[in-house]
Amino acid sequence: MSIYSIGITALNAAQTGVLTTSHNIANASTPGYTRQQIVQTTNTPLLTGAGFLGQGTNVQTIQRITNLYVSRQLMSAQTGVAEMDTYLAQIRQLDNLLADPGAGLSPALSAFFKGIQDLAANPSSIPARQAALSGAQALVSRFHGLDQRISEVRDGVNQQIADEAAKINALAVQLGDINQRIVLAQAAGPNLPANDLFDQRDQLISEINAEIRTTTVQQGDGTYSVFIGSGQPLVVGTQVSALQAVRDNDDPQRITLALRTPYGSTIPLAESLLSGGSLGGLLAFRTQTLDTAQNSLGRVAISLAQTFNDIHKLGQDLDGTPGGDFFRMASPVTFAGATNTGTGVLTATLTASAASDLTTSDYRLTYNSGNYILTRLADNTSWSSATLSGLPPAGSPQGFTLAISGTPVDGDSFKIEPTRAGASSLAVLINDPRSIAAAAPIVTSTPLNNTGTAHIDSGSVTSTASLPLGSSVTLQYVSATNQFVVSGPIAAGPFTHATGQPMSFGGLSVTITGTPADGDRFLIDDNTYGVSDNRNAVALAGLQTSKTMASGSATYQDAYAQIVSLIGNKTREVEVTGKAQQALADQAQSARDQVSGVNLDEEAAKLLQYQQAYQAAAKMIQVAGKLFDEILALGR
Amino acid sequence: MIRVSTGMIFDAGVNAINSQTAALLHLQQQVATGRRILTPADDPVNAARALVVNQAADVVSQYATNQNNAMSALEQEEAQLSGTGDLLVRIKELTIRAGNGALSASDRKSIATELRARFDELLGIANATDGNGQYLFAGYMGSTKPFGASVDAMIQSGSEIQYQGDDGQRRLQVSATRFLEVSDAGNDVFMRIRNGNGTFAATYGTNNVTPGPNLGSGVIGAGAVTDPAAWVTPASGAYTIRFSVSGAVTSYQIYDGATALLATPATYASGQPIPLQKTTAPPADYGASVTITGAPADGDSFSLTPSTSQSLFRTLANLVGALENSASGPAASARYSTEIGAALNNLDRASDNILRVRASIGSRLGEIDSLASVNEDLALQYQQTLSSLQDLDYAKAISDLTRKQTDLEAAQKSFLAISKLSLFNYL
Repeated sequence: MSIYSIGITALNAAQTGVLTTSHNIANASTPGYTRQQIVQTTNTPLLTGAGFLGQGTNVQTIQRITNLYVSRQLMSAQTGVAEMDTYLAQIRQLDNLLADPGAGLSPALSAFFKGIQDLAANPSSIPARQAALSGAQALVSRFHGLDQRISEVRDGVNQQIADEAAKINALAVQLGDINQRIVLAQAAGPNLPANDLFDQRDQLISEINAEIRTTTVQQGDGTYSVFIGSGQPLVVGTQVSALQAVRDNDDPQRITLALRTPYGSTIPLAESLLSGGSLGGLLAFRTQTLDTAQNSLGRVAISLAQTFNDIHKLGQDLDGTPGGDFFRMASPVTFAGATNTGTGVLTATLTASAASDLTTSDYRLTYNSGNYILTRLADNTSWSSATLSGLPPAGSPQGFTLAISGTPVDGDSFKIEPTRAGASSLAVLINDPRSIAAAAPIVTSTPLNNTGTAHIDSGSVTSTASLPLGSSVTLQYVSATNQFVVSGPIAAGPFTHATGQPMSFGGLSVTITGTPADGDRFLIDDNTYGVSDNRNAVALAGLQTSKTMASGSATYQDAYAQIVSLIGNKTREVEVTGKAQQALADQAQSARDQVSGVNLDEEAAKLLQYQQAYQAAAKMIQVAGKLFDEILALGR
Repeated sequence: MIRVSTGMIFDAGVNAINSQTAALLHLQQQVATGRRILTPADDPVNAARALVVNQAADVVSQYATNQNNAMSALEQEEAQLSGTGDLLVRIKELTIRAGNGALSASDRKSIATELRARFDELLGIANATDGNGQYLFAGYMGSTKPFGASVDAMIQSGSEIQYQGDDGQRRLQVSATRFLEVSDAGNDVFMRIRNGNGTFAATYGTNNVTPGPNLGSGVIGAGAVTDPAAWVTPASGAYTIRFSVSGAVTSYQIYDGATALLATPATYASGQPIPLQKTTAPPADYGASVTITGAPADGDSFSLTPSTSQSLFRTLANLVGALENSASGPAASARYSTEIGAALNNLDRASDNILRVRASIGSRLGEIDSLASVNEDLALQYQQTLSSLQDLDYAKAISDLTRKQTDLEAAQKSFLAISKLSLFNYL
């Protein structure tokens, strides 16, 4: 060994150092780059008489400065951030939709009832009737507008789920490729790590994590295997599976995911198991917020239609014909599972008390060993019965009844969406302003020749079963028994007279106050030509402030405010969680950067260090040359 | 020692500037719109509450509209009824003038002519329409003319006017719990008026000795009810007071149909109240009396029928009939006096009834006034609540805006300063 050779080793090591430092500087802003440094050791010394003589230096390996634990933490935090970011981007659309107080449902609802109130003030006025009708149409189109927007968001979510799947597939293929290259590169032995390939691999896994939460396992050959959901393999070594966007088994309008393995089988992925990343955010948004928002809006529409129709049908219009349905009410939507093998076709029908009984949840009906099981998906409450007439049970009405035609087979399932189409199917069925039933179908009268001081109120109608009356119903007072005897087309009574107490019979209810004389008569007749009668319009207008929804606990406006509150609260919750996740991710990022990030000052210092080492080594060779020259000079 | 990478310096700088800018933008939007809650997410609870309060405010303003509608409907009705009141005063004047015994037949005719005009005027009021062409006094049947009649037809037929409307009263919601009647049926205003003294009506009868009208000069007053509880409705439909004259003594007997109520006929004295009573077993006092003046002839009678409803039109038609068909002679003038007296009596009852309806309208208008002031308070309260829920505190917002601006500038400047530091500058 000579000074030359030691000088050369020093020169080489310094050069490698400069190269590694330059590589670090060059990649200072490459995403996922991990700083590298040379591991320099002394060469094996030579044993001489004088002891061990150093043989210079060598670069053992180039090392990535990384901490696996910190990297994992960062990945987990990033998948959370991506989930919340996506969720927030989606829910913001709904939040903004409800943001403008002038554009939501509430002004249209107020304007509609204002139209009805104004109609009550001028029941015979065609312009007032037309205004009420226009108010109804404006309300319906507001329902449609809101629902349309929610449907657009839903279509967007479906589309994005497919896009996410494609993106994850592309990343998975790249990861398989990198895994392959790592296997080849590592053939030289584990002591010479393929640093930059590792960085690319880690970066890919981090990108997959931004789309969906994964678990990774490092294999002996340096490759990573990636699993999603509850352990379904996405990438195992170089074997890559593909995510597929498929229609939901229960609901063909819903795009969900399945995994197609390289061996050709397809595994359906349960939505509840997929979380994290943009895809997890989309799925969570759809089940937690979107479905509930659309169902809630549909429920307001159905309740409005049903309660309004119920009262409207008790009235009569300007031409004296009984009121018909004012709004078209949506029917529940049912789907048979795609994998059903039976012939059962399920139909769901709203009950008469749907307005107050409906919830905002969807339901699933499954058939197993002769039993039907109905599950409310919002809270997984379930009821079981051998016949469909027992579902939902009478004790806990859900606002609909079920019937099946054909024969279901064990394992068949059906999805029921009672309120999903509520807003989109709402329509005004009346187009002639004369057809608004502002009047009540009966009139009462106190004949002029009564000698007592009692008088009858205007009466009310709870059922039109016995209408039209055709002829007068007479209530005649008999003082001997203190009773009213009912004669005419309705058989009822006699009723004992108690002043101010309503007497109800045949769907009618009247109240007589005061003191009648023996033989005094009170008449109930069909309301003919009652064009100025506004009794039914007043009753309709009263619906605005009646608590008709959610078991009689909420007005329409309350129920709408609940939607606003739901979306607002959820948005806020996602915002806050997103911020917390972001803080966590920032911390993890800085923890990772503390270990693996490039510091240019540090590299500049190293550059100087290696430059000086290089200069010193060169000097060493120069000295060796000079020494040799001295020896040559001796011979001159 | 914490190792800091160059990337961290840039990331931290940019993150800080980003979050400051976002906060600044939010404040700027709040200031620009004046709204504290830009989207429901900013304050979900109050955003939802604001919606509910908004509806409450809308409903209150609707009540105010309804109150105005109710007020204008009631004022229209009141205007018509106050016209009716004036008309009744004039009719009563004419009737009192007609009662003057010195009037000639032609004087009576000319009064009758004016009364005919008043009758038509009254009919006009009863058939009045509102701004939309709907009849005010037709109950619910706003497009049906409620009263159709002529004096001649009524005099000829002697029957009651036909009311074509119904008993309906339109109501409007003027507060959360109050549904106020904004119309009155013509039936109640013009028709449901008790004739006579409210308990019974005394009428000129017939002579049963010489079949035909009374022959004497007896005139019956309206009668008085002193104890309404004691009043017994005649089984036959009317009480009859029949006179018999034997020599200088005129006596009377009270019949319920063919049943005599007095054990022995009582002696008649002109102007002396005749108590309605039954002295046959079991004896009973009917709590009422009538006064007959003049000299009834043998067989003359007067009947007392329980009061029934008599329309103002019928009363007027009766009056016109009496004026136009009056003849001379003591019997005829007694009959005339009785009819004029009855007419005056019935006119009083009619004007009582109109006043009753007007008083009720007045109290309803008063109620609207007090409800309106409650309503205004409520509206103000809701506005205040809404404002506190939604509106921006400008002073605070602008001070926040300035502070955020400073923060952002600091973040920008410090970032610039730190990012400039590099060892490479010295190489």
